[in-house]
Amino acid sequence: MKGNILLLVPIIFPIIIGLVIKEHDIRKYGIRKIHRLTASMPIINMFILIGLFMMENHSLGVIGLNNILSIRLYTDEITKFFTILTTFIWILVTFYSFEYMSDEKNVKSFYMFLSISYGLVLGLGFAGNMFTYYLFYEFMTLFTFPLVIHSKTKDSMKAGIKYLAYSFSGAALVLIGIIFTYYHGVDTEFRSGGILNPDIINNNITLIIYLLTFIGFGSKAGMYPLHAWLPNAHPVAPAPASGILSGIITKAGVLGIIRFTFYVYGANTIRGSWVQTTILILSIFTIFMGSMLAFRTKELKKRLAFSSVSQVSYILFGIALLSREGFIGALSHMTFHAILKNILFLGAGAIIYKADKYYTHELKGIGKQMPITMWTFTIASLALIGIPPLSGFISKWYLGLGGLGFTNYTLGVVGVVTLIVSALLTGGYLIPIFVDAFFPGQDYNYNIRISYEPTKFMTIPLIILTVVVVLLGIFPNFLIVLFNNIALSIL
Amino acid sequence: MEGNFTLLFLVFFPMVGGILSYIIGRFNKRARDYFAILITLMEFIVIIGFFPYITNNLETSVTWVDFAGLGLEFTLDGFRFIYGIITIFMWLGTTIFSVEYFKSYRNRNRYYLFMLITLGATLGVLFSVDFITTFIMFEIMSFASYVMVIHDEKVKSIKSADTYIAVSLIGGMVMLIGIMLIQHHLGTTHFLEISQVMEDFNGDIRSIYTAAILMMVGFGSKAGMFPIHIWLPNAHPSAPAPASALLSGILTKTGIFGAAVISSNLFLYDEVWGKGIMVFGLITMFIGAFFALFSIDIKRILAYSSVSQIGFILVGLAMEGILGEHNALAIRGALLHMVNHSLIKLVLFMAAGVVYMNLHDLNLNKIRGFGRGKPLFLFIFSMGGLSLIGMPFWSGFISKTLLHESIVEHIWMFTEYNMEVRFFQFAEGLFMLTGGLTTAYMIKLFVVLFIDKNPDTQDVNDSFNGRYMTRLSTVGLIVPAILLFVLGTFPSIMDSIGKLGQEFFFGHDPSHEVHYFSWINVKGAVISISIGIIVYFLVIRNFLMEGNGDDDLEYINPWPKNLNLEEGIYKPILSDILPNIGGFIANNLGNLVERIAYVELGIFKVVDNLYTRHLSIHDEEKEPNKLLRLLEAIMPNTMASSLLQFTIGLVAILLLVILL
Repeated sequence: MKGNILLLVPIIFPIIIGLVIKEHDIRKYGIRKIHRLTASMPIINMFILIGLFMMENHSLGVIGLNNILSIRLYTDEITKFFTILTTFIWILVTFYSFEYMSDEKNVKSFYMFLSISYGLVLGLGFAGNMFTYYLFYEFMTLFTFPLVIHSKTKDSMKAGIKYLAYSFSGAALVLIGIIFTYYHGVDTEFRSGGILNPDIINNNITLIIYLLTFIGFGSKAGMYPLHAWLPNAHPVAPAPASGILSGIITKAGVLGIIRFTFYVYGANTIRGSWVQTTILILSIFTIFMGSMLAFRTKELKKRLAFSSVSQVSYILFGIALLSREGFIGALSHMTFHAILKNILFLGAGAIIYKADKYYTHELKGIGKQMPITMWTFTIASLALIGIPPLSGFISKWYLGLGGLGFTNYTLGVVGVVTLIVSALLTGGYLIPIFVDAFFPGQDYNYNIRISYEPTKFMTIPLIILTVVVVLLGIFPNFLIVLFNNIALSIL
Repeated sequence: MEGNFTLLFLVFFPMVGGILSYIIGRFNKRARDYFAILITLMEFIVIIGFFPYITNNLETSVTWVDFAGLGLEFTLDGFRFIYGIITIFMWLGTTIFSVEYFKSYRNRNRYYLFMLITLGATLGVLFSVDFITTFIMFEIMSFASYVMVIHDEKVKSIKSADTYIAVSLIGGMVMLIGIMLIQHHLGTTHFLEISQVMEDFNGDIRSIYTAAILMMVGFGSKAGMFPIHIWLPNAHPSAPAPASALLSGILTKTGIFGAAVISSNLFLYDEVWGKGIMVFGLITMFIGAFFALFSIDIKRILAYSSVSQIGFILVGLAMEGILGEHNALAIRGALLHMVNHSLIKLVLFMAAGVVYMNLHDLNLNKIRGFGRGKPLFLFIFSMGGLSLIGMPFWSGFISKTLLHESIVEHIWMFTEYNMEVRFFQFAEGLFMLTGGLTTAYMIKLFVVLFIDKNPDTQDVNDSFNGRYMTRLSTVGLIVPAILLFVLGTFPSIMDSIGKLGQEFFFGHDPSHEVHYFSWINVKGAVISISIGIIVYFLVIRNFLMEGNGDDDLEYINPWPKNLNLEEGIYKPILSDILPNIGGFIANNLGNLVERIAYVELGIFKVVDNLYTRHLSIHDEEKEPNKLLRLLEAIMPNTMASSLLQFTIGLVAILLLVILL
């Protein structure tokens, strides 16, 4: 092992905690201990991460099977951004899950897989070459699968299997890309600007392989054509898991695309080629399709899942533009969507948990019964639509500018118009929810009002997430500067 | 952040104050009401404090670079100062009136919170010098004012609030594309920089027109411009009266503000743009007045009247572009008509509010005769009405005269008689006719309130005499009412307002003094009003009223209910046709892959079968080891998926081999 061994700590630590939880005997020691373990783990990890990032950028080669199949970890700006964002959300979701999961069975396995998945997601952030990324990616799929099927109903089982099938199909496509780049790369490590052998650039095969890999990673990110698992798998999971899946696991696909595009292939290989046009069209179509289907779905969590399909493709659209504005828009949307979708899913979870309501038309007057939850839901909805000064606006602005600046002006304009149409549809499927919730109409009986407000375990994470996302929306400059620096280094 | 922080204070203080008033309202409702008045009063004092800056032409602006990543920039010049004062004045008036109006309402805390946020955002729009700032504030304003529209929560108000939010959302997002295009093509969104760039712009002007049209969709929808005025005649009547006054008097003007920026900064002296706006302005002007004649709901009449008056203002803005450098009269006319219309609608909507507060009805047949024996109410209402119809000595006369003059002057400037002259003569005729219709519907309202006797409940109406509003509300109503008369009788005040505000439009002083009370100008008003009287007696008396059996005339609205843009075109398109087409595409294309995989290849069926077999074994077990069961559940599927993966990989590698 060469390099800084400390890099392993944030990855191994959650996995160990997960195994400890597995060995924990609930009957003997009670559930509280598990709670303490799962809650303290990401918090401690946050400190470890911050400590690590205070030092210079590191790399670590763990096992060198040979030149090709070596596990390497390293840190750069993207690692920092991704791991910190993940950890922040994970802490709050964990706290939320204590209350939510108190009614569920089989909590132990849930927390165990939650912890292990967390370690694996961090591993994705730290991965230093495609092989390592792939490894963590596959394991992450496996260990998030039990989160999806947690309720063990037939629906969830089916959705879980669909999830596996799609993810592995996607991973198979990714594998092709990895093998190809190992043969035709001058190096295996991620390097900004790409590692491909200059001889094979401008080769159609190279581009086809890129497209396959993009679609492969796109399966996790819910991009057309491999999106169909997402609207099934996200809603059936328990709400904290849905939040994680939609907010973070989809971003694993996005991160893979970023790594593969900018650190393996290099933006110049793809810029101006037909592949760029293809992936732009795919992402534009997904944006539209996701919003449209969300608009026509009545079940709240499913609607949010479709919304994820659409929103994550905003990010892919930004990446596919291969321009500075597009990249800034993509990464800022990645941040905002991760937080916003968690707020929305956790809010929907709170409604299901306390009020036992699943469909959007049942929510009349719920804002009077659970004001805090619905306020956070409302703010997150408005932010997701992109109402300034909330956070979605800034990412949409950069994506729009990137789209207009694209070399193929027509396609760029189509993209921007689609973004706006999708924003309108987002308004169409989110606004009625909170309008119904807060304005139940004159006939609403104020006397039989029951408070459904969940306990502080649920509301405080929601409030923190909302406050953070509002502040990020109003003062996004440090993020924009960070993304700008990353963009300049890789474009 | 640099510059004059007081400007930021003006914008953000009401928002903070709104939150404070919400908290106060939780404990003491009375204290909250007075606190809200105090906030608006403080705003009023602060903005008055800027007077020396304005008269001495001192630079007052503030930038907050960090805000929302793109920065906020506010400035205060003559026009913004005037409109800031009017905005806050209106808020002050309505807040005072609200104390009484909302006495028996629920959820008042919510109303006050969002009313104050709307105040801040509206000021933000008016003070902005950058389209991004405008947009940010515009969206806050739209969404905050939504709560004011829906406040009653009746079926009708929920419906019209839905329309309002749909229009706002669509308008806002379309406007955003326009702003993006401006940023993309001109490299800036700052108003003054836009002016500079446009001075020697030699790119593709069509893309700038596109951007401007897109922005106009947003601004026009808020202003109530045809064909996107649809929310206005529904939302204004169903909102509580103080909110209607604000929506009609101020929020529509933020749309006009945007239109003015486009006409002055982006297309200064641009004839094409001017003519485009002219067409829409004329249609808006006429349509509004036309439908106001038909309506039988007092607030709906006033709302349509707002649409019509916005049309007048748009005509002024259009003439600004058409007249080129000789646009002094047009600018002053548009500007002063904005000011007048705000004040008039403040008075009239609050008067309608007085009616509603007492009778809880707005239908003309139900509120007949309410004003009989109420001299103060008569005074307030007639001040507003006379000003609206442009009666000499009331303020509306001044601005309408200016607008009329600008059209007439343009006609004089032509040397030969051609189609264009005919168009402008037609425009002048329409202008006079619309003025006449305005008179007609105001006479209708006046007759309903003060002359007709209510056949059924006149004693109820009379029972309110002397106690139909509190002293506080009276103050809130009577001050703007008197103001209308003062402004109209002393046109020099209006002139100085125009002089102060014209710089915003890049206007100059008029080449000659306008003698408002000369015969030629008064003649216009007289013709208009005569048309109105004729229309009232010929049309309204004959066609819009009908006997109800016991020899009494009743007001009717013969216009078919579903024959309007909203029900006829927008709703079917937006809520049926487009979603169905989109849904069809999304559903079918979206499921394509899955269908192929599922049905054609049967891939997932294999997996499914594997699982079902597995489940049937374990369902019978009573308490299986859950972890074990989980792993077992994973294993076969993993294997199946791996198989799948392996196959795909194999195919891909084969493909590669063939291709390479």
